[in-house]
Amino acid sequence: MSGTWMTTRAWLLMLPLLVVMVAVIGWPLVDTVNLSFTDAKLVGTGGNYVGFDNYTNMLSSSNFSRTLITTTLFAVISVAAEMVIGVLAALLLNQQFHGRAVLRALMILPWALPTVVNATLWRLIYNPEYGALNAALTQLHLIDAYRSWLGEPGTALAALIVADCWKNFPLVALIALAALQAVPRDITAASLVDGAGAFNRFRFVILPYLAGPLMVALVLRTIEAFKVFDIIWVMTRGGPANSTRTLSILVYQEAFSFQRAGSGASLALIVTLLVTVLAVAYAALVRKTAGSAA
Amino acid sequence: MSALEIRNVRKNYGSVETLKGIDIALQSGEFLVLLGSSGCGKSTLLNIIAGLAEATSGDVLIGGRSILGVHPKNRDIAMVFQSYALYPNLTVRRNIGFGLEMRGVAADDREKAVNEAARLLQIEALLDRKPSQLSGGQRQRVAIGRALVRKPQVFLFDEPLSNLDAKLRLEMRTELKRLHQMLQTTVVYVTHDQIEAMTLATRIAVMRDGIIEQLGTPEEIYNEPATLYVAGFVGAPSMNMLQSTVEGGTLAIDGSPARLPLPARFSKAIGNGARVVVGIRPEALRVAAGAAEPSLPVEIEVVELTGPELVATARVGTQRLTACLPPAARVSKGQASIFAFGEDAMRLFDPDTGKAF
Ligand SMILES: Nc1ncnc2c1ncn2[C@@H]1O[C@H](COP(=O)(O)OP(=O)(O)O)[C@@H](O)[C@H]1O
Ligand SMILES: [Mg+2]
Repeated sequence: MSGTWMTTRAWLLMLPLLVVMVAVIGWPLVDTVNLSFTDAKLVGTGGNYVGFDNYTNMLSSSNFSRTLITTTLFAVISVAAEMVIGVLAALLLNQQFHGRAVLRALMILPWALPTVVNATLWRLIYNPEYGALNAALTQLHLIDAYRSWLGEPGTALAALIVADCWKNFPLVALIALAALQAVPRDITAASLVDGAGAFNRFRFVILPYLAGPLMVALVLRTIEAFKVFDIIWVMTRGGPANSTRTLSILVYQEAFSFQRAGSGASLALIVTLLVTVLAVAYAALVRKTAGSAA
Repeated sequence: MSALEIRNVRKNYGSVETLKGIDIALQSGEFLVLLGSSGCGKSTLLNIIAGLAEATSGDVLIGGRSILGVHPKNRDIAMVFQSYALYPNLTVRRNIGFGLEMRGVAADDREKAVNEAARLLQIEALLDRKPSQLSGGQRQRVAIGRALVRKPQVFLFDEPLSNLDAKLRLEMRTELKRLHQMLQTTVVYVTHDQIEAMTLATRIAVMRDGIIEQLGTPEEIYNEPATLYVAGFVGAPSMNMLQSTVEGGTLAIDGSPARLPLPARFSKAIGNGARVVVGIRPEALRVAAGAAEPSLPVEIEVVELTGPELVATARVGTQRLTACLPPAARVSKGQASIFAFGEDAMRLFDPDTGKAF
């Protein structure tokens, strides 16, 4: 059979990559699974086999459920806002006006900056003593006294969501802008002759071409938002009073701050499972959208 | 009052003049075809009529009213595009009714109008499908239906048949003609296909590089082309063009001893020694036994039987000539023959200006 040597060769060619994948992903994963069934500390050796104790403890703890809610809030609100702002920005940047090219380039900037830079920048903006936000709001007489936006449990999560939106809406806008180029000019023209206003044009002419790419953006962003760590770590470290603690932060605290490696490993695997379920559900959705738009 | 009037319309894109002063006046019920090769400005002119592009200068009037600056939806026009331009996620029913829906026409009336258009176009069975489930011909029917239901004063078509295969194109052409005869609405129709133009139009505007070379009925365009360009563009195979010089009241064909009489109707306009291009339609030529006047001695080079006719390519001295003969014509490759024609069939052009004498 001619297929045989082709198949052999294909496997041979993939072998180096497979070895690397097993070494850097497969092995640590297996190790983490092992670890999650022990009460191992971060330092020291071994630990005893404890069965599913880590999992049951973690899933039944109020820490976990509260963190899951915080994470979901963060992900849903920031992704929804990014999608809306991103699409609006794309529609705007798709118009013809002077300086459009410059503005398009500028828009990418927040997304192109390293997250740490971004987070630091927003920490400055939110600074309780000399932050720009406080200055602006007092001068506009919207607040009487400077506030600690990141220091109060009531506002910290919202402040983080704003910062995350600012960083990530350009990605959505970029994807939407590319999709807008695919809207046929003739259909736009036909809708003008037919008398469709801006809203109906968006709904019947633009959205069909935007839906597929936006779905991809939605998947990417939701999964990322669910795993969010760096921007929160730099800005609030999960505080104040754990009000901005997301799942990734909780994993970190469990494994490194409290040095409970076994318990941390079990939590990490729970998060992995959640994200995988999300990814699979979304992938099915993308396939469906792509199918109906064709 | 004209149904549609275009007055000295110009259009520049940057420093490029795309339209260089277009004047057309259409009576109600006329079927005007804008005919020209790709890039000559046909779509630009159509878009200016539709309000999808703005003229740099000039005026466009529908029913005597200037429509400059009027939104496309308020111009009382409907347009059909080459790419069909259907709304991809609406059913055929909603696609056809979309213009009415956007204008707030009641659902009952809309339904009636859509059904009526669907019946005319024989697409009733397709009303609940999406555009992606239709063939090219069906999509174009839907696009035409979408224009029909609006009952506009002027229909605009931009190469509506160009994406269809040859057989379907023929069918749809007849269909469009039938619709126009029935509805008697004013139409402006863009195409680069001269046969489409000849068969559909009540008048043809042959365009070239942003100007109208000739505006006339299909008969005028075919029988009395005003320029060499029009003569060459309309008709297939295209008109024979023989280079010649006027010598003593005759036309001496370049590169050959043959001479043709200079018809009396031209003798005033053309002086001795003038260079003249003699245009003769291939269909006007026939094989003659003797030296009937006027005629040309030729040597047959290629003979092709197309079915209804025999297309012979021949040489007159150094110049080439094509003749469409009856299939039974007695010509064969390499043979010497004589092509004769009526004096009226001769069109004479000035090679310098390209204009007919
Ligand atoms: N939006 C535009 N910007 C610049 N040039 C254009 C634009 N639209 C058309 N043109 C130019 O105008 C000329 C005529 O175009 P068009 O009217 O589409 O020709 P046709 O429909 O006869 O093929 C072409 O040379 C084309 O490149
Ligand atoms: Mg065109």
